[in-house]
Amino acid sequence: MQIELVQLGALMTSALLMIIGLVAVVYLDNILKKIIALAFLGDGVNLLLISLGYKAGGIPYILLPDMTITSFLQNSAYPLPFALVLTSIVIGASTLAVMLGLAIVLYKRHGTLNSSEILNDPRVEEE
Amino acid sequence: MDMSLFIPLMVIVPLTCAIFLNLIHGFDKLTKLVSVIVAIALPIMPLCAAYGFHYFGGYQPIATNNLGAIIPNLTAQLAAFHPAITYAFGQGQQVLIFLLGIVGMSAVFTSIVETKKVSGVYLYLLFMLTAAMSALILTDDIFNLYVFFEIAALVQVGIVLVSRIKNNYETALKYMILGGIAGPFLLLGIAFLLGITGNVNITDIVTVLHSNLNNMLNPVIYLSCAMIIFGWLYASGLPPFNAIKSDVYSKGLPNGAMLLQSFSVVSCIAIGMVILRIFGILELSRTVILAISVIAMILGICMAMVQTDFKRVIAYLAVGELGYIGVGIGLGTIYSLTAGLFQAANELIITSFLFIGFGTILYKTKTSDIKKLGGLLPKMPFAGLLVILAGFAMSGVPPFNAFQSKFMLCQAALTQGIPELAVLMIILSIVTFLAFLKIFYMVFLRPMPDDLEIVENKVPKTTIGVMVLFLIICLAVGIAPDLIVGRLGALATHVLATTPLIPFL
Repeated sequence: MQIELVQLGALMTSALLMIIGLVAVVYLDNILKKIIALAFLGDGVNLLLISLGYKAGGIPYILLPDMTITSFLQNSAYPLPFALVLTSIVIGASTLAVMLGLAIVLYKRHGTLNSSEILNDPRVEEE
Repeated sequence: MDMSLFIPLMVIVPLTCAIFLNLIHGFDKLTKLVSVIVAIALPIMPLCAAYGFHYFGGYQPIATNNLGAIIPNLTAQLAAFHPAITYAFGQGQQVLIFLLGIVGMSAVFTSIVETKKVSGVYLYLLFMLTAAMSALILTDDIFNLYVFFEIAALVQVGIVLVSRIKNNYETALKYMILGGIAGPFLLLGIAFLLGITGNVNITDIVTVLHSNLNNMLNPVIYLSCAMIIFGWLYASGLPPFNAIKSDVYSKGLPNGAMLLQSFSVVSCIAIGMVILRIFGILELSRTVILAISVIAMILGICMAMVQTDFKRVIAYLAVGELGYIGVGIGLGTIYSLTAGLFQAANELIITSFLFIGFGTILYKTKTSDIKKLGGLLPKMPFAGLLVILAGFAMSGVPPFNAFQSKFMLCQAALTQGIPELAVLMIILSIVTFLAFLKIFYMVFLRPMPDDLEIVENKVPKTTIGVMVLFLIICLAVGIAPDLIVGRLGALATHVLATTPLIPFL
């Protein structure tokens, strides 16, 4: 299987996004930054999935009346990765929304977004 | 009537009900009525359903649908290709979904009777989690499994958030951040499998990979295996996620905690079986599963000994018990997997029994701190009796059900030539028994502290009824294990039929 330059670029970018996301979520203290890092991680995986389905010069996976089955099967891009990514984006958006909501609540309760301060806040223990 | 229609309904009915309950939140009588009807239907549906497959959209495997005739050069692999999301329903799935239905029904009933005002939103979460767990058991599609894994993770956070227990928001965020790592890792593992096989249907993946065993030497397979095992550890709450999972259990209301631990058990077996089917041929995968399971058993039970909050004690004991299930999966034989599935089925009931049992103490005293409790046996003798019987069941005391499953696991370890593992499991069962006796003494038998306030309200009869139902199931399965072992054995045989395992060690 020959890898196209575009596909290679996408794979490299996805790897970079995942590494940045993973390192940031572990080492950054700010909750918002952690959430952004998690979005990076998710986007990296989505990009990897999209690049798996890439086909140079591929046509959409729609069988038109003037196509033969053989030419359709030879030229159409594999649609499954795109369908998976669409679902994954929806899941990622929902998770992101809940995490941001939680971040707002925690900021109101603790007056900070630093996770180390939130987890060690003595006021929480006194509630 | 085509009874195979019940296969998708086991997921669709609770899912639709959950969305509907969310919409009618505030209309108490309607919410209760809908919840009770659907809750009763949960364990009935798997009993009515016919065994077989359900192909969403009606798209059967290519060899059996019209497409097979028009595709040129149809290879054997392509002929077996499943174009639709497939649900497989057999005897093992029937047992597991039936027991899950009992747990879901009990959670809904106790939630309705123990709260003054019924919350449609909370019931939404309970039904949604039940639907997600049923889907995990039924699905033969690894991406569908990932979707319900993510839905369940969000619902679990919801259950923690609505509990209003101290520090619940902090725990929820921690759990979400870890889930934010584990979810993409699991998806990455799936993406690698998709890249190699071009499929997300588990049967198709196994067919392609095992048709040429050289495929299994591909380093990407090892990477994919590692990613999926990471997702499995997070979902099941096995080490290193045992602490956060125990935290999550302890931040849920007792009826919510029942379903939270049920999700851990279900994901442990559902994802565990997927790992075994796809990667079981790699000895390394089974060794890793076995090692982590042993650590989970030791860590869970040792951590339970030092807790002072009874919800956390049960939470850690539940994590320890998950280790037994993992041992069954990790040994990788039909007998051991049957024992692991049997232990999972027992675990679903026993831990729910314990959460509800200790929930009655929370209901009467409003505290779960063991140091503040004592002398409750005269105040709630029947509930106390049921709680100690639940503890006996968890410890594997005969004639309860866990005795049979733990005995089978010990036999499986001996058969595989690992007597040390059998000895360890017996020792840890004894330690579980001691941990349980300790909290029972502290809560029920020692003199009551002067400052302990007890609510005069009686424990609802429904809650007691649910506990009696759990006790009956524990005893019935313990006395007649053939009720379910044969059925779970059929599932184990099917899982390992496509995996030519090399004997362990």
